[in-house]
Amino acid sequence: MHLIRDVLDKQIVDGNQVKIGKVDGMVAQLRQGKPPRVIAVEIGSIALARRLGLLPGRWMAILAAKLGGKRHAKPHRVAWSKARDIGLHIEFDIDVRKTAIFDWQVWLRDHIIGKIPGA
Amino acid sequence: MKKMLEISLGVVTSVGGFLEVGSLATAAQAGALFQFQLIWAILLGTICIIFLVEMAGRFAAVSKHTIADGIRERFGFNAFLWPLVSTFLVNFLVLSAEIGGVCIAAELATGIGFQLWALPVAFVAWLLLWKGTFGLIEKGVSLLGLVTLCFVAAAVILKPDWTRVAVSSVPSLPHHDTATYWFMAVSILGASISPYLFMFYSAGAIEDKWDKTYLGTNRAIAGLGMSFGGTISVGVLIVAALVLGANGITQVDDYHQLPLMLTPVFGFWGFVLFVASLGIACFGATAEIALQQAYLVAQGFGWNWGEDRKPREDPGFTMVYSVTILAAAIPIALGLDPLKLTIFSMALTAASLPLTVVPFLFLLNDKSYMGQHRNGVISNAAVLFVVALGFILAVVTIPLQILGGS
Repeated sequence: MHLIRDVLDKQIVDGNQVKIGKVDGMVAQLRQGKPPRVIAVEIGSIALARRLGLLPGRWMAILAAKLGGKRHAKPHRVAWSKARDIGLHIEFDIDVRKTAIFDWQVWLRDHIIGKIPGA
Repeated sequence: MKKMLEISLGVVTSVGGFLEVGSLATAAQAGALFQFQLIWAILLGTICIIFLVEMAGRFAAVSKHTIADGIRERFGFNAFLWPLVSTFLVNFLVLSAEIGGVCIAAELATGIGFQLWALPVAFVAWLLLWKGTFGLIEKGVSLLGLVTLCFVAAAVILKPDWTRVAVSSVPSLPHHDTATYWFMAVSILGASISPYLFMFYSAGAIEDKWDKTYLGTNRAIAGLGMSFGGTISVGVLIVAALVLGANGITQVDDYHQLPLMLTPVFGFWGFVLFVASLGIACFGATAEIALQQAYLVAQGFGWNWGEDRKPREDPGFTMVYSVTILAAAIPIALGLDPLKLTIFSMALTAASLPLTVVPFLFLLNDKSYMGQHRNGVISNAAVLFVVALGFILAVVTIPLQILGGS
């Protein structure tokens, strides 16, 4: 498998087939005397902004922390060990509701969308 | 039998959804000033959109990806930002122009100034997206759009010189207003090859869960639907040439001139038909473009998306179309001339096309996505040629047009 070709920027779904984002970044661990190993994928605006450059990454981290609190000061990570299936999408054995990834969607629903009649 | 029904429905919706403020305004202007001479631009644009729509459907059916998904996955986020940002901005201008089109129809019908209609129109379109399903928007609105066929009827009734019409399907050099001629050619190309049209089609194919058994259906819908759609644009151009141009109205720079197009043919009902055509066609396009903006962002960033789901299930998706549609109404509410905005945004569309179409062509030739259903030489060459032509003409003529002060 080629990490850049087959993993980066692919659609991620959780255990309930909910689309939770794309593989916005990947984290590898350097090990003494052994080849590096992929340990996690990153999701969210900070990971994306970092791909554009150091400065955008830093700004996005500050912005995200301001808006979402400390929990959002770093990119969301999902452990590579949770990956179950790589096909059209990459499926991770997690439940997005138990992570902070969709905090902003929940906020939108509770504060804006949910308040409009018919939602 | 089921396939036949699907094909007819698909063709009918493509035809009903083809005409919008861009193709109407550009064809009317071109007909008034240059008679039939620019028919070739409509033909070229239509051929290109047939290929692109067919590719969009084939790509969705074979790879199960929408275009936005595919470009991001294949080229990475940083490269994807270019088509994302350019399409988002151009779509936004076109959306504004479509809202303007509905507002003009409302002004013509009621006499109340178009600016006042902008927010109510945006609200009704938003309500349709909020409450409606994909099927209602795609099929319902497009079926009503069949009223635009009145332009074809009018063109036939006016008995144009068909030899001249046929001769004009081959490009020729202008005898007057050279810069305007080429600028109009660009605007026509931009109006025919709207990125929202084939991107929306690809999202629709995914929403309708197309697979390889739909390849034939897809080819028929793309070919027939878009050709009939292009015929309506040619109809508008012919009517404009024979009614406006022949009566000395060569510069269509005020939308109040437009309803005159159909009155010599249909009398008072011509006025009604024009207002209905403009209003319905632009309203349908408004709903589709706003939805396409939400598809684009949601697909690009990997959120859940789908028009058949309840707004509270996809807050991010819902938010994008709600904010876009409201924001796009603001320039019209502030009194920006919808006709000028339309022509300008169509030329800009032509200029921005390579950013979307070139990566898309790469995907269509990629074995890992398309397997044995890859593009042939002809479709690659045809699309590249028309898009390159549109781009070059746009880059040359847009500055001239701005400097020329019109």
